Amino acid sequence: MDRKERIRVKCFRFDPSRDESPHYDTFEVPLNGPMSVQDCLLYIRENLDPSLAFFVNCRLGFCKRCLVRVNGESCFACMTEVKDDITVEPLRKDKVIRDLWSADT
Amino acid sequence: MGEAEKLCDRVVTTELLIVGSEGAGGHAAIEAHKHGVDVLIVTKGKVGQCGASQMAGADFNVDGKTAKTLGFPGDDRDSPERFFEDLVREGLYLGNQKMVEKYVEYAPKAMKDIMDWGMRIYGYESVHTEAMARGITTAGTLWVKAIRKKVKELNIPVLLDTMVVDLLTSDGRIAGAVALDIKTGETILIKCKAVILATGGWHMAYPFTTGPYDLTGDGVAMAYRAGAELISMEMVQFCPITLVWPPKDRGSIILYIFSGLDIGTVVRLLNGKGERFMEKYDPKNLEQSTKEIVSIASELEVEAGRGGPHGGVYFSLKHLGAETIDFIIQAAKKRVKEELRDTRYETNTLLPELLEKCKTEDIEVGNAAHYMGGGIKVNEKTETTIPGLFAAGECSGGLWGAVRVASACTEAGVQGKIAGEVAPSYVESVEQAEINAEQVREILDRINKPLERTGGISPNELQKKMHEISGKKLGLIKEGKLLKEAVEELEKLLNDDVERLCVTSTKSKALNYEWIRALELRNMLTCLYLSARASLIREESRGEFYRRDYTHTDNDNWLKNIVMKRKNGEVEIGFEKPIITRIPLPSGKLTYQEAIGVATASLKRQ
Repeated sequence: MDRKERIRVKCFRFDPSRDESPHYDTFEVPLNGPMSVQDCLLYIRENLDPSLAFFVNCRLGFCKRCLVRVNGESCFACMTEVKDDITVEPLRKDKVIRDLWSADT
Repeated sequence: MGEAEKLCDRVVTTELLIVGSEGAGGHAAIEAHKHGVDVLIVTKGKVGQCGASQMAGADFNVDGKTAKTLGFPGDDRDSPERFFEDLVREGLYLGNQKMVEKYVEYAPKAMKDIMDWGMRIYGYESVHTEAMARGITTAGTLWVKAIRKKVKELNIPVLLDTMVVDLLTSDGRIAGAVALDIKTGETILIKCKAVILATGGWHMAYPFTTGPYDLTGDGVAMAYRAGAELISMEMVQFCPITLVWPPKDRGSIILYIFSGLDIGTVVRLLNGKGERFMEKYDPKNLEQSTKEIVSIASELEVEAGRGGPHGGVYFSLKHLGAETIDFIIQAAKKRVKEELRDTRYETNTLLPELLEKCKTEDIEVGNAAHYMGGGIKVNEKTETTIPGLFAAGECSGGLWGAVRVASACTEAGVQGKIAGEVAPSYVESVEQAEINAEQVREILDRINKPLERTGGISPNELQKKMHEISGKKLGLIKEGKLLKEAVEELEKLLNDDVERLCVTSTKSKALNYEWIRALELRNMLTCLYLSARASLIREESRGEFYRRDYTHTDNDNWLKNIVMKRKNGEVEIGFEKPIITRIPLPSGKLTYQEAIGVATASLKRQ
């Protein structure tokens, strides 16, 4: 599939200590070349909304802790390339600590 | 309950606090546990899934003679003495020889520990010298997996996802620490008799690094704030041939590793014009020149406008033709999957993907901040200058001198093991010191301020400013004028901007990235600032430290270490001659290339 120049990243948002229920926020992210889901989330956090909570550590597939759901499928955010619009959700919606980071199972 | 205990959300008491859980910290915890003291690990992530160890190549050193006693082929030409001499010479004589002796002596012991804990190894080979094999190779992921298993088996208590913010002292010795639970935002008072810092480097202070997200110089900065001496802060190693593009793989050193293998001799480095630029810098050895010369050469090409669009040069295999590249891909796959059973993304997926790409295009690569040679000053027993405070692994300084010539994994294991042996006897000899409530209050105030402020500078904005300075002025090639600017600018960021840091996006205390980054920025800026100061002071070039305005290696004036300490809020700077046991210090002034050549005569690129 060809890579779009800009994509929409729809993110699950939930702060159990403050929100009654989850909601989704959508962000526009420029794809400046082959980017991973994690690159998109980092772009959002560093440029659009610093409050977005998600896990990041090694960025190259070593720590295996950045599991999220992309369009419903579980995957590692750092190793999954993005080419089109995506919806990102935590692995376990019933165990959310905040936003895209749910408790380790 | 005393006054201080009421100030934090939680109170934890232990005898020995270990900050960091991986190659150095995990090893220290396991060793200390053996000596019967209460141990608590506090880690910013999860054991086996954070820090730099997991990302290591990895290799562990042992001299060829001792290797035989461990059942490896070994090499009769080698001995602990010869290994020691190589390390001192290749570090350009700036290392602490007592520490180097311990490194050589403990390397097999630490390696044996990890193998006993179940680390699978790939083979007996060396990645650091050409003359003889001097160690084993494995994967960082296998190393930390063995540590995680052992920590679990021994039931060593761990506080996960918790950042130690500052140390507490009483009458100049360790009394505890204050930490922050990243998941909940709760503050924790940790009472203890001793602390081992194993927090790694300050990689994230640079815009282009091979390090993970959590390496922000916390241990070095908190030790400095507590009054400990730091050493060799100017020694920052940059790794050439690191991927600058594409964004998803930025920071990977897989092509650097590839170029160090036997097959790596086919690699060509080209500039943006397609020229094999090493012909100009080292016509005899070309890409097989020393790592330092290759790094500097590629940096000079980029500087002269002959780089690629993302600030790098090119890794090229095109001259081999598609068929040969295919052959290499198949051989690599066979080796990785069948022989090594290596499941890492970098070796399994990324490497074949990149090699495939090399049939039609070149890959843009550059110099990334890779390893911090300086840090908390320790002696051969891992003792810092503060009683009760120990440091192990990359956050410590003094071992390598001017070049990190051998395995950093071994350094972590060796120093972790020594700290785990030495700290328990200290713990046995002292009582828990009284916690000073005023100190706790000041630290909590610092922690809470960014959340309480309603205006100021955002952590993202300050991070950009920091990266702008480190990227342009504290890179591989240094220069007095730019270093002076960096010192002044960083001083301003530390004194003004850090005091205005404000978390704006959410005041929620759970997983608040802006808040944690605000605390980490103070640490990264502290390390960078001290590194810039030390770099400006060292008026020569030596090993991994290169100044274009002082290109000679000056043994007559600069065979000394720069030591820094906080005194009355100011940096106190001192100079110390390297500690010598067997090898006297040389004299004379050499050109940079000569010095590197003499020092690394036995070496290939590393």
